[in-house]
Amino acid sequence: MREHLLTLLIFLPLTGALLALVWPAHRSRNLRLLTLSICLLEVVLSGFLYTNFDFSTGRYPYSELYDWITLPLGSLGTVSIDYALAVDGISLPLVLLATSIMLVGAISSWTITARPKAYFALYLLLSGTVVGCFLAQDFFLFYLFFEFMLLPMYFLIGLWGGPRREYAAIKFFVYTFLGSLLILIVMIGLYLSAIDPLETARAAGWLLAGELPSEGLISKVQQALAQGVLLPEQLVHTFRFEYLADPANYLPDAWLNPISGIFLGETSVRVLAFWLLFAGFAVKLPVVPVHTWLPDAHVEAPTPISVVLAGILLKIGGYGFIRIVHGFFPNEALDSSVPLAILAMISIVYGGFNALAQYDLKKMIAYSSISHMGFVLLGIAALTAEGLNGAIYQMVSHGVLSAMLFLLAGVLSDRTHNRQIDHYRGLIGRMPRYTVLTGIAFFASLGLPGFSGFVGELFTLMGAFRAGQIPIWIPAVSTVGIVLAAAYFLWTLQRMFFGEFWYRKSEDAALLTDLSPREMSLLMVLALATLLLGLFPNTVFSITGPTVQAWLDSLN
Amino acid sequence: MSSTDLTFPVLLLLALPFLAFGAIAGMGSFLRASVGWVAAAFTAAGLGLSLLLFLSPESVQMQYDWIRLGPYVLTLSLRVDSLAGIMLLLVHAVALLVQVYSIAYMHDDPNRSRYFAFLQLFIFSMLGILLSGSLLLMYIFWELVGLSSYLLIGFWHHKPRAVWAAKKAFILNRIGDAAFLTGILLLLHHTGTTDFTALPSALSVLSPGLLTAIGLCLFGGCVGKSAQFPLSAWLPDAMEGPTPVSALIHAATMVAAGIFLLARISFLLTPTAQVVIACIGTITMLHGAWLALRAWDIKRVLAYSTISQLGLMVVAVGLGSWQTAMFHLLTHAFFKAGLFLSAGSVIHALHPTETQTNFDPQNMRTMGGLRTVMPRTFWCFVICAAALSGLPLLSGFLSKDAIFLAAFASTASLGSVAYVFAALAILAAGLTAYYMTRQVWLIFFGKKRYSAASVHPHESPALMWIPMAILAVGTLFFWYSSNPFEAESGWLFRVLQYAPDVHSVWVPMVSVAVTVSGIGFAWQKATGTRNFLADAGEDESPNWRLLAQQIFNRLRLLAEHSEETQQHIFFLGPLQKIARACAYIENRGIDTLVNRLSRYMVVVAHVLSWADRYLTDGGVRAVSYSVRGAGAVVRQFQNGKIQSYFLVTFVSVLLLLLWVLVI
Repeated sequence: MREHLLTLLIFLPLTGALLALVWPAHRSRNLRLLTLSICLLEVVLSGFLYTNFDFSTGRYPYSELYDWITLPLGSLGTVSIDYALAVDGISLPLVLLATSIMLVGAISSWTITARPKAYFALYLLLSGTVVGCFLAQDFFLFYLFFEFMLLPMYFLIGLWGGPRREYAAIKFFVYTFLGSLLILIVMIGLYLSAIDPLETARAAGWLLAGELPSEGLISKVQQALAQGVLLPEQLVHTFRFEYLADPANYLPDAWLNPISGIFLGETSVRVLAFWLLFAGFAVKLPVVPVHTWLPDAHVEAPTPISVVLAGILLKIGGYGFIRIVHGFFPNEALDSSVPLAILAMISIVYGGFNALAQYDLKKMIAYSSISHMGFVLLGIAALTAEGLNGAIYQMVSHGVLSAMLFLLAGVLSDRTHNRQIDHYRGLIGRMPRYTVLTGIAFFASLGLPGFSGFVGELFTLMGAFRAGQIPIWIPAVSTVGIVLAAAYFLWTLQRMFFGEFWYRKSEDAALLTDLSPREMSLLMVLALATLLLGLFPNTVFSITGPTVQAWLDSLN
Repeated sequence: MSSTDLTFPVLLLLALPFLAFGAIAGMGSFLRASVGWVAAAFTAAGLGLSLLLFLSPESVQMQYDWIRLGPYVLTLSLRVDSLAGIMLLLVHAVALLVQVYSIAYMHDDPNRSRYFAFLQLFIFSMLGILLSGSLLLMYIFWELVGLSSYLLIGFWHHKPRAVWAAKKAFILNRIGDAAFLTGILLLLHHTGTTDFTALPSALSVLSPGLLTAIGLCLFGGCVGKSAQFPLSAWLPDAMEGPTPVSALIHAATMVAAGIFLLARISFLLTPTAQVVIACIGTITMLHGAWLALRAWDIKRVLAYSTISQLGLMVVAVGLGSWQTAMFHLLTHAFFKAGLFLSAGSVIHALHPTETQTNFDPQNMRTMGGLRTVMPRTFWCFVICAAALSGLPLLSGFLSKDAIFLAAFASTASLGSVAYVFAALAILAAGLTAYYMTRQVWLIFFGKKRYSAASVHPHESPALMWIPMAILAVGTLFFWYSSNPFEAESGWLFRVLQYAPDVHSVWVPMVSVAVTVSGIGFAWQKATGTRNFLADAGEDESPNWRLLAQQIFNRLRLLAEHSEETQQHIFFLGPLQKIARACAYIENRGIDTLVNRLSRYMVVVAHVLSWADRYLTDGGVRAVSYSVRGAGAVVRQFQNGKIQSYFLVTFVSVLLLLLWVLVI
């Protein structure tokens, strides 16, 4: 089973989604149990991934590789799309995060009663595609999962969301879709520029079917490629990550060849491609100024979807930066560190200021997410071990914390359907347990040492300070974000939770009951998770460290 | 004793308050009334342990690899040396007394167990700061101290002002902390370590300019936590918390953490950084003292005085003598805690009965004559006030005198500018004597000004006055030095290995003279016709009506000045004017600046939010409209008419052909 664990992780929820579609309608309430057990199983399976993980090499020892589509196009070479899955230190923390947050979302979906069949089918579809995104080792496969994620998300926001759900859903869709178009363009460009050396060797007859590749075969093919010896019909184009990341696999006259460097006017095509790809993933992260879908989507989405959106989907943006944008365009990324870091700084400060100005609790949290994800970009822009590890850590930490924050906001909107900060005062009098957990979540998010938020901020900032190419004032200004975080979280705490109890609609005050055991236990587990991550950050760094180091070494 | 033997005691020392925190938070309702005694017992055990550590001759250093990233290891280390040892004793001693006091002070508060749990959390974080072997670990506990301070200032969370003050304290501290963190990151970047043992040798790679920048960034942490100019505004507001908390956290220990930090990093402060630090300290010292001259809230006077004394300690560090700063920190902790506890006793005694709620038991305008009613409190207060003023035979005199001497000694390294610092420090000592005399007179002397119907002042119970009395006894000179006029022979400097090389007879004489004349002027003013109460109408934060009245009063004062005594014109008159100006700067300037800044921050946030909604988002919407427009154009072709479909198809095929043929 260990050999097919990765496939199982993807297809278990997808099968569940199909099952949900054919589930008898009069039993549809049982679907939540099905979803819950599938998500639980996913967590257990990803736990196996962790226990079998090889910490010295930073890889899960079993990867999967099958030829999926092979289409000879004559003089245009051969299209080769592989079903390639693998897990390394960069994706493992995010896979663990994804399955855990999906479980949290499933538990918090307990109260969904409208159209449960459709809801849970879409939820499971989302679950499978998200995991697929982190496991895929073929750009085409990745893109497939990436696009397929939009569909369930669009409907989950648009059908189960708040009053302005249609607007939010379409905005989310248009934004991300435009982003993925940019990714698609570059993906095709990369595909046309690079080859799969092994398949090419087969096509050229240097490697017979069933024969194992000899030691120097790959470099032989690459030399032949560089000398232009290979015929166009023999070239097998590829989407595989590992081949795209190696400059030797690029055709000498290709547009995106890292060495020859073709220019369009003044700018190199590669730089152009880098920025297109960056923009595509920046929408997802999100980076200011392409972030405005996020607050709307969060405000309108139902609680579990907000949790999933903030907890996992944003992380695919950061993952895409590390794996794809910086993975395939490392030199361009290094040259663009300064603008990237400035964008990160703007996201941090601008998001923080906006969070300070919000009256809607969910919107405040949404803007704080933008600010916190800015730290991820800062760490990635630094291109140092601390920065990259910190960025991954910050993604995990923010995943846990934002899940907690949106659950907390959901508690309030479940009860009164009102999230206006200034409509409440002194909630501590009515909901003491809720107040304590909100306090923990707020302090953890504002970077109190001991909780995970602090380590993420510390390491991304440290990475930016240590990066030679980034001027020191950028991370120094970014520390304003830490002050702002204290301001907006504590101000909210002061306005909503302390003082004498008061609620604007006094006739509804009885609705404000303290946390139910289900909510309580869920929040406690998340609080414990952020505490443990904060006290023992090495649990994450021991996974990410070797992979990131190898990745950085390969750049030099 | 080898250092490994001490590993366990050190860890236990840190674990004790945390266990107490957990125990009280978990079983608070079970412990009920005894919760305070449990807390005090834990702290007493800690006091014993820290005494053991202090007496052991060796310093302890232990390490833990917190984060490993390949070759890069982030180490957290604990360290106990003589400096930490002194502070450990101090924190435990004051914390123990304050907790015993709190048992009586908080006896009818329903949330007692939460109170003691938070206090233990504070002790845990404070001990963490003291035991930290690296700046990074110190920063971690530094923030935790900020948290416990937040929780304790806002302890009465139903009071909007308390919650507001808690938030203000945390955010202003955060500003300093951001600088502190920047300094730590700069150090990590350039030297790769923040460990106090490894740092001195690692500093050689840094250029002096960079080192100055790092030193000032780290000093930022001290500016926040020790309430230095311009981040001092949170400390007076922090007085919204329970009074024992003010004594422990906002007078004796937490606010001293900034001084402790400076003492730890004194080796990396460049001369430029030192001068900047001394200047900030001087401004804080004078500013705080002048504000204390005209405050009416019994606790606020003490808070302003704390700011001023912290400023004095910062000046001492800036002048290169952190040992004297530590000495003053130590003596100040005792007499300021004593003053706060005595003030708490007064507040406790003046607490009105349920029926009258508009009576403010902290307002010194409605006190007076309490000397006879509460003699024990009176004596404790007076002794501590005298120590704060710097009267001989008391600890304050010794430590202040050491600082003055160090200031004069620093002329050797800093040049004649050090004379200015020394003179201003002595001036501040005179002001201190003045405002403390004013406060003593307002509380304990004169006629009683509270209405007897609702307020029945009484002496506090033994649980309260015994800790006060212990602290008052702790201000006597012989605890610190056998010679009442010289600190050099005391144990502290021996422990810290400090040997001042300047001896002077006239420095103590001048400072005593200034102190005595400060007291004298204040006493003269108190017993004269225009005593302090004549200004009682002036509030600390006047509204426009009061302001108009003040301007009128000021004009009248100008006319009357010719008839005043000479000292009023040349000393007190201008002094009070400066005090008013300072209060004006504080209220209208810094405080308003901070408030405005926070308001502007919200305004900027709103402007940005507006821009976000209408400009950034608007751009997006414009795109979506144009897409929709394009869609509308395209939609026209799909109008159900066969002819137009045919037209579109025809044109498309034509274009396709064109493309195929041409390319």
